[in-house]
Amino acid sequence: MLVQQLVNGLTLGAIYSLIALGYTLVYGILTMINFAHSEVLMLGAFMALGLAALLPAVFGTGLVGLAGMFILSMAGAGLINVIIERFAYRPLRHISRLAPLISAIGVSIILQNGVFIWVSTQSLPFPEPVAIDQVQVFGATISTLQIIILATALLLMAVLHFFVEHTKLGKAMRACSDDIQTAGLMGINPDYIIALTFFVGGALGGAAGVLYGMNYGSIKYNLGFLPGAKAFTAAVLGGIGNIRGAVLGGFILGFLEVLASGYIPNGAQWRDVIAFTVLIIVLLVRPSGLLGEKIAEKV
Amino acid sequence: MKKILNNRWTPWITLALAALFPFVAGAIDAQYLVRVGGVIGLFMLLGLGLNFTLGYAGLFDLGFIAFYAIGAYTTAIAMRSGVPAPFALVLAVLVTLAFRALLGLTILRLRGDYLAVVTMGFGEIARLTINNLDALTNGPKGLQLAPWRPLSFLSPDPNVQYYLMILAAVALSAVASARLEDSRVGRAWIAIREDEIAARLSGIPVRHYKLLAFTLSAAFAGLAGGLFAQWEQFVTPESFVFWESILVVSIVVLGGMGSIPGVLVGALVLVGFPPLMQWKLSADWINYRYLFFGLILVLVTLFRPQGILPSSRREAELTS
Amino acid sequence: MSFRFAAAAVMIAITAACGPKETVVKIAVAVPLTGDMGTEGQGLRRAVELAVEEANAAKRFPYKLVAAPYDDRADPKEAVNVANLIVSDSRVVAVVGHYNSGCATPAAKVYARAPVAMVSPAATNPEVTAQQNSKDWMGPRMVFRVVPTDDVQGSYAATFAGKKLGKKRMALLHDKSPYGQGLAEEFKKGFVAQGGKIVSEDGISVGDKDFKALLTKIKSDPSKPEGIYFGGLYTEAGLLLKQMRELGLKDPFAFISGDGSMTFGLFDVAGEAADGAYLSIVGVPADELPSAKKFVDDYKARFPNDERKPFDHFGYEAANIIMAAMERAGGPDRAKVIDELKKTNHAGVLGTTVFDDKGDTTSKIVTMTRAVAKKRAFDSVR
Repeated sequence: MLVQQLVNGLTLGAIYSLIALGYTLVYGILTMINFAHSEVLMLGAFMALGLAALLPAVFGTGLVGLAGMFILSMAGAGLINVIIERFAYRPLRHISRLAPLISAIGVSIILQNGVFIWVSTQSLPFPEPVAIDQVQVFGATISTLQIIILATALLLMAVLHFFVEHTKLGKAMRACSDDIQTAGLMGINPDYIIALTFFVGGALGGAAGVLYGMNYGSIKYNLGFLPGAKAFTAAVLGGIGNIRGAVLGGFILGFLEVLASGYIPNGAQWRDVIAFTVLIIVLLVRPSGLLGEKIAEKV
Repeated sequence: MKKILNNRWTPWITLALAALFPFVAGAIDAQYLVRVGGVIGLFMLLGLGLNFTLGYAGLFDLGFIAFYAIGAYTTAIAMRSGVPAPFALVLAVLVTLAFRALLGLTILRLRGDYLAVVTMGFGEIARLTINNLDALTNGPKGLQLAPWRPLSFLSPDPNVQYYLMILAAVALSAVASARLEDSRVGRAWIAIREDEIAARLSGIPVRHYKLLAFTLSAAFAGLAGGLFAQWEQFVTPESFVFWESILVVSIVVLGGMGSIPGVLVGALVLVGFPPLMQWKLSADWINYRYLFFGLILVLVTLFRPQGILPSSRREAELTS
Repeated sequence: MSFRFAAAAVMIAITAACGPKETVVKIAVAVPLTGDMGTEGQGLRRAVELAVEEANAAKRFPYKLVAAPYDDRADPKEAVNVANLIVSDSRVVAVVGHYNSGCATPAAKVYARAPVAMVSPAATNPEVTAQQNSKDWMGPRMVFRVVPTDDVQGSYAATFAGKKLGKKRMALLHDKSPYGQGLAEEFKKGFVAQGGKIVSEDGISVGDKDFKALLTKIKSDPSKPEGIYFGGLYTEAGLLLKQMRELGLKDPFAFISGDGSMTFGLFDVAGEAADGAYLSIVGVPADELPSAKKFVDDYKARFPNDERKPFDHFGYEAANIIMAAMERAGGPDRAKVIDELKKTNHAGVLGTTVFDDKGDTTSKIVTMTRAVAKKRAFDSVR
């Protein structure tokens, strides 16, 4: 059973990590919690569904179709996130810290209810472009779906790492994360980099949405809410603003949930209580999260 | 308009009009509005409470509804154990204060956004624990309460009775808040919110005042929860989901952080709007309620970020 | 400043926009019309509309009868909201609703204060009617239901699992809702009473999606459960089935659930994975009831593009029973209708319906069905 639970934890953790990265990237650069991120991930899933429905021959079948579906949904989700930033957050950035947050909440409500009203109020089945088999490994039944999810998530994280650490744009993002004013003085256009960050964060969220749809087989207008809240918790657990922290937090949360459901008798219903309690305990010991840095406050 | 708002008789006249409303509602076929009014009143109480934490002390709290739940369940359990209703309400306030103080002592040292997540976490912990502890709370099946109708001489309709009781509670709370706001304590809170380090350097014991603001909030939530439980005669964990906490935060921020009339109007608009739409629009439009709600949130924030009725300090801060 | 006036003006305009009032009598249909349960509620609404249209066409009443739909979104808070709305509309004479027990129970309290009769076509938790016995009940007895309760359903399923399927050890799951948990507890009572063993008990939450860890635990349980009994609704049931198959849990490992899962939406969520699941339904499926044949045909003719749902014939019957009571009462008087409903002895699509002194139907039939994914249907199992 242990191997099986490990796989369960890895899959769940991978999805949480991808979502958490979206939160952490935006927070790192703007110190803002993007409450609408959970809806961006939901829209990514719906875009994939839409693509498969519109052009089933292209996107509904095969590995190439799957990849295409991914890339387009990611791009779409990224774009949506950029648009949200431009119109709902940017005008409020200089006004107060809370204003963009309330705006984000409003955007989240609009997106959720928009899908509820104009797409469907119920669960819609999610396409399965590639045939899913089960393989037996060390006594555990692992579905090829889980392997795809894990592989995709790790691939995306690797690409992100490369982008952030080894490209000029990535360097600009890191600079803005550290100190956006000085970065501006160095010739970086902060608005552009902020938009880029939102694009990348949104794309990752969109990818997570597609993986989520594939993993559970159906999507619904409010699918983003719970994973979003949990991934946000994961990001904070790891140290909000820290990319490695988001990944670490995501996997820890995934394993915690699996352990609670799988090993504690009657534990499934206490799963979230355990997760949040662990969060509180961790933050009491390390107030900036596991990998977060203590930021000195300038007087 | 400003003259009306600044007139010292305005709050009293508004109060009188509000108190008369349920009696004329029957004549204009608007009994449903009395119920809506009661619900708005409960959220006014919640908003006034959160105003201490968020508006005065500037602490971002995403789990406030947990204390509404604790107040409601304490009242329910107490009344079912034989405690008379008024004492159950007092007990609700005390228990809520205790839990809140405990939480505050534990987490207030955390920085802004971490505090937000932890409060959110606590909100969920509270709701899930209530949902799971069947032996104490009957879990998802909820608890039923005996009716308490002290104002039945005024009207046979419990909606009217509780509307008036909640109105009284709101009035008292508003007065209490205003008094505190104007006192040394209130000024200390404002100083802390504006510049914590400067406040500390001026000799204000910041940690104590933060804890005080944080804890006092709970009294209002506990009272609101108790009244809610007695009115509905039924409590379930489903009434206390995360979304409700967000609603209260929106009420305070949109109404005008730190502004008592702002919070009251914020509750009126944000809580009154969906049921009002439901009452008069055809079935097809009803699903648009929350869409409009979200739109209002975004638009008001974009065009009036200081809130609907901001405190003069905040107005100056955000518009000059 | 002007914004405030604009907002106020909008609110006043909405308030003032009242439509003209005609002599119309309404039967409220309080069910989920949107959300995952929306399809079930829409079916019930159609069934009640059919009944009302037939009554109007036959000129049964000297006024126009209308089926007025209200969406409770399967949310207890919304149900109470909707109940208050209904009660404040004096044209409503009775309510067909609610669908979910978790909604019916709190809503009934609101209806009791009015009082206005509530006839439920689908809420099966015993508490819905039993709460009327409590000393705090604020009104007359006005809750009725045309479906058997979960104590009947749960114990039937327990007998089926033990005797028909020969299972001795089962794992218990429920969605922690009043309906789901209640049903699971009834199953447990019955199963243990016949010597069976409940190996583990777990609660999930409505809206949860990931049950892999939980199912893995059940699969590896050293007590070797031979199946799962799940009290809950089709979305979670479907996800459970899907993930069970992904973990290799299939026949002879049984999945048994109740009427909340027995609907076509199960196939949308689980697809092929739903195959072989055992689902009980209260009463008998309309297709197999000779007394319901006319209803089935009329429904198809009136709503050719809509799938008939498993509970629709209960909704139709509930509406007809109300209308019969209205006739006996001599007019659309809420209190009189309540009194007449108590005396119901109605022959219709469900056979003969009589209410006991709690308001429950005296019919205690439960049918077990098995899901066939290819046909998108549920075959009765004798």
